[in-house]
Amino acid sequence: MSTPETSTAVPVAAGDGDGAGGPILKVEGIHTYYGAIHAIKGVTLEVRKGEIVTLIGANGAGKSTTLRSINGLNRPREGRITFQGEDITNRPAHEVVAMGISQSPEGRRLFPRMSVLENLEMGAFQRTDRQNFGEDLDRVYDLFPRLAERKTQKAGTLSGGEQQMVAIGRALMARPKLLMLDEPSMGLAPIFVEKIFEIIVEINSQGTPILLVEQNALMALDVAKRGYVMETGQIAITDDADRLSENEQVKKAYLGIA
Amino acid sequence: MPSGRPSLVGLLGLFFLLLIIVWLGVNFVKDPQEFINVFFVGLTRGAVYALIALGYTLVYGILQLINFAHGDVFALSGLIASSVLLSVFGVTTDSGAGLVIVAIAVALIVAMVLASTLNVTIEFVGYRRLRHAPRLAALITAIGMSFIVQNIALAIYDVDYQSIPRLIPNSSVLTIGEVALQWNKLFVLALTIPVLLALTWMVRETRHGKAMRATSQDRDASAMMGIDVNRTISFTFALAGSLAGAAGLLFLLYFTTMRYDTGFELGLIAFTAAVLGGIGNLTGAVLGGILIGLIQEFNEGLAWATPGGDWTRSIVFGILIAILVFRPSGLLGEQTPEGE
Ligand SMILES: Nc1ncnc2c1ncn2[C@@H]1O[C@H](COP(=O)(O)OP(=O)(O)O)[C@@H](O)[C@H]1O
Ligand SMILES: [Mg+2]
Repeated sequence: MSTPETSTAVPVAAGDGDGAGGPILKVEGIHTYYGAIHAIKGVTLEVRKGEIVTLIGANGAGKSTTLRSINGLNRPREGRITFQGEDITNRPAHEVVAMGISQSPEGRRLFPRMSVLENLEMGAFQRTDRQNFGEDLDRVYDLFPRLAERKTQKAGTLSGGEQQMVAIGRALMARPKLLMLDEPSMGLAPIFVEKIFEIIVEINSQGTPILLVEQNALMALDVAKRGYVMETGQIAITDDADRLSENEQVKKAYLGIA
Repeated sequence: MPSGRPSLVGLLGLFFLLLIIVWLGVNFVKDPQEFINVFFVGLTRGAVYALIALGYTLVYGILQLINFAHGDVFALSGLIASSVLLSVFGVTTDSGAGLVIVAIAVALIVAMVLASTLNVTIEFVGYRRLRHAPRLAALITAIGMSFIVQNIALAIYDVDYQSIPRLIPNSSVLTIGEVALQWNKLFVLALTIPVLLALTWMVRETRHGKAMRATSQDRDASAMMGIDVNRTISFTFALAGSLAGAAGLLFLLYFTTMRYDTGFELGLIAFTAAVLGGIGNLTGAVLGGILIGLIQEFNEGLAWATPGGDWTRSIVFGILIAILVFRPSGLLGEQTPEGE
C-alpha cells in the first residue's frame, strides 16, 4: 500500500450554509495512547447537524480509539474535542453520555445476563425525564419489532443480528444528539447487514446525526454524506461520500475494486 | 457443568453426599430434639457467615477480586463496636433495657459507617489503580490490605480478647418439648433476614443496583450508558463494608468476645461460603453461609459418628476443595463465558 496523499476537498473548518447544519462535534488534532502505544496521531474531524459521517479504514487504523477518545473512555493527551460548542476533552465517559453522545460499541457489548428490556433500560440510565421512557421504548420496538418479541430473553442468548439491534436500540434510548456506531455490520449475515443500514438511514432521517465507523466501506459510503479514511492513526483522506467512492485510492484499498 | 456423562469423580461426589444425608438422618432419628437445637445454633452461626460472605461476593461480582481485607474489616468494626458499648455507654449485665437498646443501635451505626468508610478507602487507595494491572497484583495487594487492617486492630486493641457482657439473653423465647429457641439466636436471625431481603431487592430493582449489575457485566459498556463506574464500585465497597460492620456487631453480641485476628479465619470461612454458593451470586452467598454454619455445628454438636470440633477446619476447607473440583461455579453460580 502506497502512502496516502491527503486530498482535502471539503475544508475541515466549514461552517453553516453548505446544506448541512453547523458542526455539532469537532475533533481537533487529538493524540491518544494506550500506555506507550501512540494509537491516534493528530486526528481532526467533525460531524454536522443532521448528517451521517463515516469513518472507514483497515483493521487497527484507530477508528474505535477515535470513538473512545470522543466518549471519554480514553482521554487524548493532546488536542481538543468540542460538542455543541462545549469542550468535552477531559470529561468522564458518563458525563459525555449525559450531554448527548451515545454509542453502540464494537462487538455490541451488551449486558449478557440482563434481559433485552433491561439492556434497553440501561441505555436510558442517565436520563432524568423518565416519563418519556415508554415513548422511546415504543420507538425502538418500531424500528426493531423483533426486540419486542424477545424483550424478556437474556441478551447473551440472542443471535448476532438481534444483539446488534439491541446495541443500537440501547444507544437510542439515551435520546442522543449524536449517535456513534462502531462497526454495526460486523459479523452479520448479508441480509442483516442490509437491514441494519436501512435502519441507520431511518434513524438519521428522524433527525439524529450519526458518526458511523465501518469496515464495510462500500455500504458506509453509500449511506453517508461525508467520509473520512483513516490509516495508522491518522486521517488519510476526507471528502464527500460519493466522491470518496470514486476515489482511485479508496477503491483500491477499501472497496476491493482494482 | 451438569452433563449427562457420569464421571468417576462425579460418582464419588454423589456417594459422599449420600453418606452425609444418611449421617444426618440417623442423628435426627436418634435424637430429634437435640438435632433441632443444633440446627438452630448452626443457622445462627450461618447467618453471621452469610452477612460476611455477601461482602466477598458483592466485591467479587463487580471487580472479580477477592477482597481479603474484608474479614479484617469485619473484625476491626466488631472491636470498635465493643469500645462503643463498653467505653462510651458503659453497659454491664445490670444495665437497663433502654440503655442497652440505645447502645446497640449506636454501636451498629458506628460499626457500619466505619467499616464502609474503611472498605471504600481500601478500594480507593489499593485497588483502583490496579484495575488494568495483572490479576496477581490486585490479589497480592488484597492480602497486604488484610495485614494492614489486622495490624491496625492489633495496634489499637493489642492481642487480648475484647469481651462484652451478654446483652442479649440466651434464655428461651419459646420451648417445645426440649427444643428451644433463645433470644440471642432470634436476635441474630431477626436482624439478618431483613438485611438480606433488602439487599437482594436493592440489587435487583434500584438504580444503584442496576448500575452495580451492569458494571459487573461490562465496565466499559456501563460507562457508555452514563454509569459513573468509579462511584458504582465505591458504592459496592461501602455496601459490602456496612454488611461487615453489621456482622461485626452481631458476632460480638452473640459470641461476646473477639480480638484482632478473629477476622482471619472467619473471613476465610465466609469466603468459602461465598465460593460454595457461587461467588458473585447473592443468594448463593447466603445459602453457602448457612450451609457452612450448619455443617460446622452438626459436626461439633451431633452425637452419632461425628468427627468433632478438631476436624471442623479440615471439613470446611475440604468442602472448598471439593467445590472447586466438582462444581467450580458453586451451587448457584452461573457458568458464564465472560465471568472468569
Ligand atoms: N486496549 C488496547 N491496548 C493497546 N493497544 C490497543 C488497544 N486497543 C487498540 N490498540 C491499538 O490501537 C490501534 C488502533 O486500534 P483500534 O482503534 O481498535 O482500530 P480500529 O477500530 O480501526 O480497528 C491498533 O494498533 C491497536 O493495536
Ligand atoms: Mg475498531
